[in-house]
Parts: sequence; C-alpha cells; structure tokens
Amino acid sequence: METIDLSVFSLGLTFLLLAVPVILSLVYGLGLIKSLFYSAARMTIQLVLIGIFLKYLFLWNNALINLSWLIVMICVAVFSAVKSSAVKISKIVIPCFFSFSIATFAVIMYLNIVVIPIDNIFDARYLIVLGGMLLGNSLRGNIVGISTFYKNIRNDTKKYLYVLSLGASRYEALLPYIRESINLALKPTLAAMATMGIVALPGMMTGVILGGADPEVAIKYQIMIMVAIVTSTIISVVLTILMTLPACFSRYGVLRQDVFINKNGYQNKRRKAK
Amino acid sequence: MIQFKNVDLSFNGKKIINNLSFEIKQGEKVVFSGKSGSGKSSVFNLLLGFTDPDSGKIIFKEKHVDEKSVWDVRKDVAYIDQDVSLGDGKVAELFNFVSGLKANALLDFNERKFDELLTYFELEKDIPDKDTGDLSGGERQRLSIVIAILLKRDIFFLDEVTSSLDGHLKQKVVDYFVAEKEWTCLVNSHDSIWLDSPGVKIFDLEEGKWRP
Repeated sequence: METIDLSVFSLGLTFLLLAVPVILSLVYGLGLIKSLFYSAARMTIQLVLIGIFLKYLFLWNNALINLSWLIVMICVAVFSAVKSSAVKISKIVIPCFFSFSIATFAVIMYLNIVVIPIDNIFDARYLIVLGGMLLGNSLRGNIVGISTFYKNIRNDTKKYLYVLSLGASRYEALLPYIRESINLALKPTLAAMATMGIVALPGMMTGVILGGADPEVAIKYQIMIMVAIVTSTIISVVLTILMTLPACFSRYGVLRQDVFINKNGYQNKRRKAK
Repeated sequence: MIQFKNVDLSFNGKKIINNLSFEIKQGEKVVFSGKSGSGKSSVFNLLLGFTDPDSGKIIFKEKHVDEKSVWDVRKDVAYIDQDVSLGDGKVAELFNFVSGLKANALLDFNERKFDELLTYFELEKDIPDKDTGDLSGGERQRLSIVIAILLKRDIFFLDEVTSSLDGHLKQKVVDYFVAEKEWTCLVNSHDSIWLDSPGVKIFDLEEGKWRP
C-alpha cells in the first residue's frame, strides 16, 4: 500500500483549518491569534528543518551521530521540563539530565536488544524515533511531577515541618509528596493507555499505518511503545525527584527557599532554611 | 540539658535574636515571654533545625545541634505548634501515620491511655472517626497535645498551644504539664495562666534574661 504524498499546495490547504480558531478567538476575545500563528510558524519551520535533518540522519545512520542527536533531544526535553517548573534551572538541570538519560537509554536498549531485537542497536530509525516518543512523554510527566512535588511541599510547609518534628526521617516526611507527584505525573499516560485504540489512534500507529505497514504490525509496535512510555516516564519522574533532593533540601531536611523562581512564597517570610 | 550560647539570628536583614544565652535543666518548666516578633517561635525553630543561627551555639543534651544531631533532637522532643497542621483525612489515619514512623515504632499507642487523655482534655470519644478538617481550632490544639503526650517523650516545645482554648481548658493543659515533674517544658505563651503558674520560670526574650 503506497502512502499518498502531500503536495506543498495540499499542505497549504491544511492551514485553512486555522481559520476556525482565528474566528473563535475573535468571537470570544481569546487573544489567541498571535500565539496561534507564532506556534504554527514555529512548528512548520522546526519540522521542515528536522525533516531535512532526519533524512540525512537516516541516510548516514552513524551510531555516533545518532547518539549525539539523542543527547541533544534529551537536553531540549530537560530544559523544557525544568523551565516549566517553579524551581530554578541551575538547581535541578543536571540531576534532570541524568534522570532523563538513564530512563530513556535503559528502556530503548531493552527494546532494541531484547524485545525487537535489532543488529544495530543505535539504528536511527529506532533510536531516534523511539527516543523522541519516550522523551516527549517523560517531559510531560516531569513537568507535572517536579511542579507538584516542590509546590506541594512549599504550600504544606507547616505540616511537613510538623512531621519532621515527630521524628520522621527525611524519606518518611517526603514519601506522601513523592507518591502524589508520581501518581499525578503518570495519570495522563495511564488514561491515554486505557483508552488507546478506542478514543484515539495514537501517533505512532497512525504514522506506521499511513506509512504503508500492516495495521497488525502497527498495533504490536503501539503496545510496545505504550508500555515503554509508562516505564520510562515513571523511571524518569522517580529519578528526577530523588536526584534533585540534595540540591533542594538542606541536610536538616528543610526545603531551601532559594530554589524557587518566585521568592514571594509564604515560607520565605516565615522561615529561613538552612 | 538545653543551652543557647550567644546566639544571633536575623532574617531579611532584621535582627530577630540578639546574643541570646540561657540554660534549661531537666524537669524545668520555662515560659518565654516577649511581644510578637521577639523571637519566641524562633527559639523552637533553631532547636529543631528549621532555622539556622547567624552565630552562636545551641546545645541539646550535651551535643551541638547540627545536621547530624538534629535528627536525634526531633526524636527526643514533642513539638506542638499553635496552628498545627494535621493534614487531610481521618484522625485515625493521622494516628496510624504518626505511629508508623520508625522513630515511634516501639511506642504503644494503647487505647487506655488514649481514652484517659481524651477524657481529661474533654475531647469526644469518636474523634478518631472525624476528619481533621472538621475539627475546631481548640480541638486541633488538644488533639496535637494528646499526640505529643502519646509519643512518650520527656521534652516538650509548646508554642502557644492554649491560644484557642477557654480558661478552664487552658488551666487543665497547664496543670497536666506542670504536674509531670520529669518533663522539661519550653513554652511560648501570652497566657497569664502559664506565666502565673507556680514552679514555672520565665525568660524574658526582649531583655534576654530570667525574670526574678
């Protein structure tokens, strides 16, 4: 089955659909038009450039270049996740880099060596494509996870300190917040997993089917990728939280207030963390 | 047992505690007096490691309070804040959480003692089934006092723990702590019931010295 290619003109016609959000924005005074065109333009330019880049990446299929590109992808994902949290980039960017890298590499290597398996485990088609899917989901999970974890403790300072005063270890005092953050971080992925195929045909499956593959093969890959996404997301969220603790908490177990971008939090006025 | 040696503490450039020195012996009941902002709560925050002094030494049971020893300090004292946050959920869940902490693993939260305390502090017997969010300020204060006593520790940091109670209940709380001769109690309070109680020493934080 051949995939019907889209001409530049056809692709241009797609953008006519944007007339709908533009009209709705005007009718309801949403003020979305500027950001809509900015985002659409950015997406188009980025995808065109990445399309050209990927074409060569697949053509060369060099292990070193593929790995380097995956590291670039990790860096971009890490910066996006950290930037969206309330915590200062400098405090958590390095632990986040390690947590994303460990989660992504561990799961991809398991898929490439054990599940699929392929001869060249650094093959661009698998390393880059799978890496992108895992990182996209880890990114979403970590944005929720990091923000929930640190904001909840900041908002709950009195209770957190009370628990410490009861003789709790740092781990015991943090555990309820760790649990809640992981649960919230995984919720969207688990919900997507549960409705997969019924509510939506996911991106990878659509891509593979449009690409001419048998739907049966597409479904098998989709199951594989969903399990991998859940696993890499939970690994990265847990590692991110655990690995950022030393930078964000004092050795007395108190959350440092200088880790937050917004310094006007309640605790800043009341307490000075060690 | 507890010693402050020339402790200074400032926050946002404002001096909160200035060259504070005192010593408290085992079994003493000490009330810190002083107007709001004189650093009464900061004394507890310093002892519990929630705040760092600019200079000076804080000694607890012969040991300098630092990042290692502070974890033992927290196991040795029972701290009650005036506006203690008990979180969400049932009171029974809170008890399970507290008794589930490793530091409290050997404690026996036996029902007899618990019932005795509920009766004494005039709390309803079905309080374990209530949501902590539904408790009044006075009930929360008395419940946190019950939890603190059940921890079986002999050093108490009581930060305005009677502020939401009526005169009759304030007196009962003061009587309970003063009657326990072995207990060392550090108290922050504006209540005259504490200040006038026999056997209580008063340390004036504004003057930085004991009241005669």
